[in-house]
Amino acid sequence: MSVAVRQVRKEYDGVVALDSVDLEVAEGELLVVVGPSGCGKSTLLRCIAGLETVDAGSIWIKEREVTTVRPAARNVSMVFQSYALFPHLTVEDNIGFGLVVREESKRQVKEKVARAAAVTGVDRLLGRKPFQLSGGERQRVALARALVRDPDVFLLDEPLSNLDAGLRVQMRAEIRALHRSLGATMIHVTHDQVEALTLGDRIAVLDAGRVRQVGTPVEVYGRPCDLFVARFLGSPPLNVLHGDSPLAQARPGVIAGVRPEHVRLGGEGVAARVELVEVAGSDAYVHLDLGVVARVPTEERPAEGAHVRVLVRDADVHRFDAESERRL
Amino acid sequence: MPEHRLSTWSRRTAAAIAAAVFLLPLWFMVSGSLREPGTPPPRTPELLPWPVSVESYRDAFGLVDLARHTANSLAVAALTVPIAVLVAAWAGFAMLLLTPRARNVLVVLSFAALMVPITALLVPRLTLFRSLGVIDTWVPLIAPALLGLSPFYVLLFHWSFRRIPAELFEAARLEGMTPFRTWRRLAMPLVRPVTAAVALLAFIASWSNFLEPLVYLFDSDLYTLPLGLRSLEVLDRTNYPILLAGAVVATAPVVAAFLLAQRYFLHEDRGAGWLGR
Repeated sequence: MSVAVRQVRKEYDGVVALDSVDLEVAEGELLVVVGPSGCGKSTLLRCIAGLETVDAGSIWIKEREVTTVRPAARNVSMVFQSYALFPHLTVEDNIGFGLVVREESKRQVKEKVARAAAVTGVDRLLGRKPFQLSGGERQRVALARALVRDPDVFLLDEPLSNLDAGLRVQMRAEIRALHRSLGATMIHVTHDQVEALTLGDRIAVLDAGRVRQVGTPVEVYGRPCDLFVARFLGSPPLNVLHGDSPLAQARPGVIAGVRPEHVRLGGEGVAARVELVEVAGSDAYVHLDLGVVARVPTEERPAEGAHVRVLVRDADVHRFDAESERRL
Repeated sequence: MPEHRLSTWSRRTAAAIAAAVFLLPLWFMVSGSLREPGTPPPRTPELLPWPVSVESYRDAFGLVDLARHTANSLAVAALTVPIAVLVAAWAGFAMLLLTPRARNVLVVLSFAALMVPITALLVPRLTLFRSLGVIDTWVPLIAPALLGLSPFYVLLFHWSFRRIPAELFEAARLEGMTPFRTWRRLAMPLVRPVTAAVALLAFIASWSNFLEPLVYLFDSDLYTLPLGLRSLEVLDRTNYPILLAGAVVATAPVVAAFLLAQRYFLHEDRGAGWLGR
């Protein structure tokens, strides 16, 4: 196990940020921690990095307990949301900063910086200062600074959130490729569910300081353990079918839910009227008067006001206990 | 006339008026010092006297040992300014490492200390320095620099360091930087304009300090320039060009220091000014 977080608790002035968090990250794995704003995901990352102390529990890196070890001695690298590049230093000095602090020889620093810069594609920017770089270039420099030290674990705190949509997709792919080529252990924090689902070997869903579910993206999306996870992942979100919905058999004490892509529009099923159609590129979101949204290929979208028939297969329905909201 | 040209024109006019308000007294001081010694002040403002004479400067340096006093002032400032800047920067950075509550207490205490008038400190300080046996030395003039010279300088540094994003300091911590190295290699390069401002303010405070040298210094060989000017006035009260020549000698280093520091204020060093936000 590369990283293990055991029963970690953290409070700020009586407000619980992390509540008995258990998490294990395998060697070479890319784990994405995802959750809404304020759920404690960044706090978790900072506790692993040693930038925050924990109130209870323990943190292990490479089978060594590091709960009270100072940040620099944990051999972790962190990429911050704002990249935290040192503004007065050139790209070369930024990347080599940690090596200089560790008093490595000038020749070694130069070699390692050149290697990290080549891997991240910033080798032509070494003489520039951070303010002369674009958002994507800054991001690459931050990654180069993280990997130059050859750390045991990479911690990435929402590194893509400051980039525009197009660049985010590109950098997501680059991080994924970098992870594959390095085979390094990475923990990536994000609030973006698409980023989590596309990037992670596994994802951990956090809510109010608690880990709700850990699993592969397919597992977590396909078999959410509770209603929160089911609704948090997916865009548009899961349709919650109330007891009186004609789309699911009503059962007392049970909440049913269906993903928009599993709401089928066709010649059979329950009659419904189309209230609104939103085109989102290749897919369209069809809002029906039954209170559900269907996701259909754009070329197959019905017209607004049209009358359609809606079918939901029983196998596609997720059922949760109405009280505990756990999956049944 | 297009609106933006009008606004540029009015801005430049306002800047010229403001510059004239500050520069004209300086110029009249210089032109007055170039009059022949013993001549009375002109009845109307005079841009340049005729004949132009530098006799007043020769007389001023002859009447009083202005060269020695200038050297003394420079020596005191050369020791005071770096110590004051260092201590104020250390204290401002140290405040950053405290808990928010402790930090707030120190800010309030600093403001309280700022409100204490210097005259209220003269007697206790005189007693202290006398008991230490350092009266009639430069130690009492330099010693306040060990406290940052003024709480205002400490607060200036503290507020500047607080503007630096916390993530930069956290990144430094992860790289294994000690607080001292973080201060030296990360924090100080990012607050160069403030360092220049504090250095300039400390220099002016030290250079123009009249009261404390008057209280602590008795040996005229140790006198600083403000005491030398005072001697000049006592020796030849009515010789107006000589007094102005002494004033020019006293003012020139301050103007030079300002011009030197100005590039830090005006030059937009984006390498240090951009804080990654």
